[in-house]
Amino acid sequence: MTSFFKSKIVLTTATLVIAGISYFLFFTETPVDYNAEVKPIINQKCISCHGGVKKKAGFSLLFREEALSPTESGKPAILPGDAANSEMIKRLHSLDPEERMPYQEEALTEEETRTLTKWIDEGAKFDTHWSYLPVKAPLIPGKGLFSWFKQKDGNDIDRFIDEKLDEVDLKRSPIASKDVLLRRASLDLIGMPAPEVIKQKFLRDNSEKAYENLVDDLLASPKYGERWTALWMDLARYADTKGYERDYIRSIWRYRDWLIKAFNEDKTYDQFLVEQLAGDLIPNPSDEQFIATAFHRNTMNNDEGGTDNEEFRVAATLDRVNTTWEVLMGTSFACVQCHSHPYDPFKHEEYYQFMAYFNNSRDEDTHDEYPLLREFRNDSKLKYEKLLSWLNKHADTKTASFYQRLLKTGQQCINSITVDSMYNAALEDTKSLRLRKNSLAKFSQRDITNKSTLLIRLNSFVDHGILTLYIDQPNSKPVASIKINKSKKEWDLVKFQLDEKLTGKHDFYFKYENPSLKKEKDRGLLVDWLVFTPSFPLKTSAAGSAFYQDFLELLNQPDAEFTPIMSDNPSYMKRKTFVFERGNWLLKTQEVEAGIPALLNPDKNNKLSTRLELAKWMTDKKNPLTARTMVNRLWEQLFGQGLVETLEDLGSQGMTPTHPELLDYLAYTFMHNDNWSVKKTLKRLVMSKTYTQSAETSEQALKKDALNRYYSHAPRVRLTAEQVRDQALAISGNLSNKMFGPSVMPYQPEGIWASPYDGRSWIKSEGEDQYRRAIYTYWKRTGPYPSFINFDGTAREVCTSRRIKTNTPLQALTLLNDSTYWDLSIQFAKNLMQENPSSVKQQIGKGYKIATGLDISDKKSKVFEALFSNTMQQLNKDKKRVNKMLSDSSVQKQGNELAALAVVTNAILNLDEVITKN
Amino acid sequence: MKKEKIQTEAIHAELSFETRRHFLKQCRTGMGMMALGSILDGCNIFLKENNQLGTNPLLAKAPHFAAKAKSVIFLHMAGAPSQLEMFDYKPELQKMDGMDCPDSFIKGKKFAFIRGVPKLLGPQTQFKQYGQSGLWLSDNIPHFRQVIDDVSILKAVNTDQFNHAPAQLLMHCGTPRLGRPSMGSWVTYGLGTENSNLPGFVVLTSGGRNPDSGKSVWGSGFLPSVYQGTQCRSEGDPVLFLKDPNGFNRDLRKSSIDAINKVNELAYQEYNDPEILSRIAQYELAFKMQVAVPDVMNIADEPAYIHEMYGTKPGEESFANNALLARKLVEKGVRFVQLFDWGWDSHGTDPGTALDMGFVTKCRETDKAVSALLLDLKQRGLLDETLVVWGGEFGRTPMQENRDGIQNFHKGRDHHADAFSMWMAGGGIKSGFSYGETDPIGYNAIDGKVSVYDIQATILNQLGFDHEQLTYQFQGRQFRLTDVFGKVIDPIIA
Repeated sequence: MTSFFKSKIVLTTATLVIAGISYFLFFTETPVDYNAEVKPIINQKCISCHGGVKKKAGFSLLFREEALSPTESGKPAILPGDAANSEMIKRLHSLDPEERMPYQEEALTEEETRTLTKWIDEGAKFDTHWSYLPVKAPLIPGKGLFSWFKQKDGNDIDRFIDEKLDEVDLKRSPIASKDVLLRRASLDLIGMPAPEVIKQKFLRDNSEKAYENLVDDLLASPKYGERWTALWMDLARYADTKGYERDYIRSIWRYRDWLIKAFNEDKTYDQFLVEQLAGDLIPNPSDEQFIATAFHRNTMNNDEGGTDNEEFRVAATLDRVNTTWEVLMGTSFACVQCHSHPYDPFKHEEYYQFMAYFNNSRDEDTHDEYPLLREFRNDSKLKYEKLLSWLNKHADTKTASFYQRLLKTGQQCINSITVDSMYNAALEDTKSLRLRKNSLAKFSQRDITNKSTLLIRLNSFVDHGILTLYIDQPNSKPVASIKINKSKKEWDLVKFQLDEKLTGKHDFYFKYENPSLKKEKDRGLLVDWLVFTPSFPLKTSAAGSAFYQDFLELLNQPDAEFTPIMSDNPSYMKRKTFVFERGNWLLKTQEVEAGIPALLNPDKNNKLSTRLELAKWMTDKKNPLTARTMVNRLWEQLFGQGLVETLEDLGSQGMTPTHPELLDYLAYTFMHNDNWSVKKTLKRLVMSKTYTQSAETSEQALKKDALNRYYSHAPRVRLTAEQVRDQALAISGNLSNKMFGPSVMPYQPEGIWASPYDGRSWIKSEGEDQYRRAIYTYWKRTGPYPSFINFDGTAREVCTSRRIKTNTPLQALTLLNDSTYWDLSIQFAKNLMQENPSSVKQQIGKGYKIATGLDISDKKSKVFEALFSNTMQQLNKDKKRVNKMLSDSSVQKQGNELAALAVVTNAILNLDEVITKN
Repeated sequence: MKKEKIQTEAIHAELSFETRRHFLKQCRTGMGMMALGSILDGCNIFLKENNQLGTNPLLAKAPHFAAKAKSVIFLHMAGAPSQLEMFDYKPELQKMDGMDCPDSFIKGKKFAFIRGVPKLLGPQTQFKQYGQSGLWLSDNIPHFRQVIDDVSILKAVNTDQFNHAPAQLLMHCGTPRLGRPSMGSWVTYGLGTENSNLPGFVVLTSGGRNPDSGKSVWGSGFLPSVYQGTQCRSEGDPVLFLKDPNGFNRDLRKSSIDAINKVNELAYQEYNDPEILSRIAQYELAFKMQVAVPDVMNIADEPAYIHEMYGTKPGEESFANNALLARKLVEKGVRFVQLFDWGWDSHGTDPGTALDMGFVTKCRETDKAVSALLLDLKQRGLLDETLVVWGGEFGRTPMQENRDGIQNFHKGRDHHADAFSMWMAGGGIKSGFSYGETDPIGYNAIDGKVSVYDIQATILNQLGFDHEQLTYQFQGRQFRLTDVFGKVIDPIIA
């Protein structure tokens, strides 16, 4: 084809386009766009008085039916199609300061008034905000008609970016060097410099696919899961303690390990969410699926003496609602707790309908954090497996699965703190039921259909107690009396045989007497929980009775790992959910059933009542929020800012997307093309030329787009707290590759931990546990690891959707002076001296190369060489100083050179280029 | 060339500003606007009113209106001291000592530990009137007599939380739950700091423990972390990581920071990223802080009469030392100094929490220093511009605690949210004044009742803020310290 022919087509096209535009300009008038033009004015100028919270003069602009209905004056303020007679518009023009709106605020601009007027004249239509509309496959720019003549490179993502860049006449930057790409992709995908094998392979690979191979290698590395787990731990508010006053230990690290495995095996994102939200409700859940549900057991638990367990159970439940919306669906739902959403169309009662999904879980703010998944170890494991296979042979399915669930999760145990009434008994420190010399405790309306035995876990402090059980009436004939002596172990199991003919719900009275106690108030025993069990098969046979003993042992005190999990109440104990007036849990009003806000589930017949159904709805491809929220987050992780900057709020008060079509393209391909594969989506992102371009910034780009919202160059992003640590460990050659297991305690300064009533202290971990990746560092909510906090980590009391990056002197002090970093600097220097014993210049060059991936420039090298010789001079003056600087005697013999080089390597660890992704 | 340089700098200033735009939230976004470069067309009050284009989020800023106080010292007695043994004199309660608490006070009420019917407990100390104002004070705080004519006592403060952690959070963050910024963070967000070599918001703790609600009571919540309180410690590094590694001296630190900054400047030439300039500034600041912080934290050089006055002993972790430090810090321009003294939870379960034993010791440990602080500020002419606030997170019951229905062995009181005493001094607050009354047994507020939010609104007011206007956009709505409550306590304002 000749170029003449080509240009002719271009010309014709251009003519057509111009004609089209002219027609458009002169002969049509576009209707007002509610979301783009009207809603921002309403949100900014009107809604604070006329919306979810306040409805001044009975006028609200939140929902159309509200906006058009009569106000306190008796007339509606908006007459669709008739702006001139609409009170709302009249009030904008009024000269009377008492009348003119916005009341006592600056008047609307002429343009704003025009927009609102036109909007009402056009019928005052309300449109749904973009993020609540389904994700559609958007057209890829430049892929349609006439696209062939345009220069293009890169993938579909670049088409969207280029289209916007064209608008401001900017261009993408050239591709960054191999060294830069290696470091950038490694930090982004695995959160640390690439392991040597991957690095060498890439540097030797001269094929066209070298970079793609690198990406594949990084995605396949086990370090990948660790990096993305770090992100998810913020979202899940993961911590190793319970929070609040005492902030005791919580053993939930198996959830962290579950995350690492899930990311590494690229569990599809829909399944990933379903298991975390409702793994316990999946038929025959595996241990792993139970552990996934610890996601919502990362809520805080209050052990402070005298606190109301129900109050903090409710607080945890509300937190689950807020977290689910904020981190998984990019919606600020928390405000709906107190009133209808002020900006987005969610109603007050819809908050509580949603809460109902989480309000039926078994956790009750108990000290031991029941329910717990038990993963049996050693002998207990063997016993459990044998018992299970025996039960499967000899018991009916229902009974076998009851016992299995009971042993695995401790359900359906009844926590003693839920006692309904007491006489001379008490809740000890609101943690467990205490029975005294002569006391009575009642548990009301417990269903014992098909149950034959009552087991009670208790701890008796004294001998000679008698525990008597009555059913329905405390003065009726007792079921039995049992002698209770001082417990030998911490907990004993006591057993009452019930009449098997009893069915349905009954009241249970426990009377405790002990003549050996002196005073009425003297305590006899504590009750932890009780449980009704069905009859155990072949209990009278030798085998049956032996297995029953095993069962009791496993139930009471097995050798096991315990992890808090979700589990629902049996149907007869289902909690009712009420709307709380102004969010106050004590002011319960109307009762509600579980449900999704109407805006997102318009089909009234589509009733979703369980957490599992909720999880399925959230991960349905029709859900407009889930995929958008996640791809926006992935984008933010790589590019430093989201396509919607407010990751936590895609709603109408959130920021406008810079590239709405790209966001939808990514969300669509994430669900449909990549079938929810996070790895595939990440690969799509990092394979784009937008990602691989250089970070160097032209003056022109700075002038036109100082914020780089158009992505004309790669962003420079400061590393996260975790990456700063992991990178320093890797650079200095100390990083431990050990994965999984309980959290560890690397060096931290004295005096960080000081919770009241908590004598525990930070016990420095030994050996390689000193040098584990940041995600394995013990996270105490009231005393988080200080260097992480200085680099914008959070206490994780509630979820953190987004860390706001700051640049403070405390960060400088951390990297300069924290013993961790000084020690790593020495190690780093030592390695460099071993490799290049003769030349300081080479040592510096190599150190810089390891840290930045780049060859050092002469100028920079000279700065460090001067620092080295300056330090040497100082050290030579005072012979004793070196031993102070090198506290580890094994390296002191290397003397002044090592100390001086460590000053240089420490400077390198502090460089902007090192703590920033370039 | 010069013009271009200015332009570049302006863009950088804009950019640095914009990267922190989150806390100077703009109203409008969208590609078109940004292309025009009108990034600063925001709706932030500071921007509009002060037209500041700072790259430093801690730059000193003007408040909404003329301030009476420039800084705040908040003395928090963590655990909640008993108002009935300090400020709220109840002779009637003495008469009723040992009687069953009337049903009307306990019916439908929830207590942390009291169960059943507790007995009333009369004041465990003597009270007399002091000063020209003739205000009542207990014998537990003899030094306070000297300053009684300088304070406004609030006798009818009320909270709705009766557990320590939530109540402390409510007092400092305006919510009983975690996740919101603390008062000091709001103040530094609003005012910045006047001495950039020191943190704008400093926290000092004594009593051997952190407050019950942990570091969240000085956390920045959703505000950027630059606004969080910096805990200065009496032992070890006054600020974490402030001290150089062993063997370093100023010269060596200076040459190392110089080298870092030189290489960072070279990197700036390559990348043009203004964030690098900001980092260079932070390293310079860190270097200055290394001198300024130990300097201000060192009380050893104070004259002997000052040590005598406060009862300070250099090198100790004590409330007295912290009180003196508070004075030094505000003198140096620190905005908000928050002291926590742990150990006021006088339940009477052991001698340490008995009103006639441990509580008396706590009073003795703090009384002299509190009084000295006010006198010292006054003699330096600083009391006028420094607002001092004293209080716990709630008060204590007029009844003796009977944990789980058994009278505690020692004389102690349970947590009480309905009425308790706090005081304020300086910073435009009336002196020698008492506001609010409780009923004859000190159970309920009957007059001049103020809430925790009112306290917060008043503190902000003295600093020149309308508490309803000091807001921050988060999760789609404007948040403020006082949530949707709070009213300035006008009667105590001079």
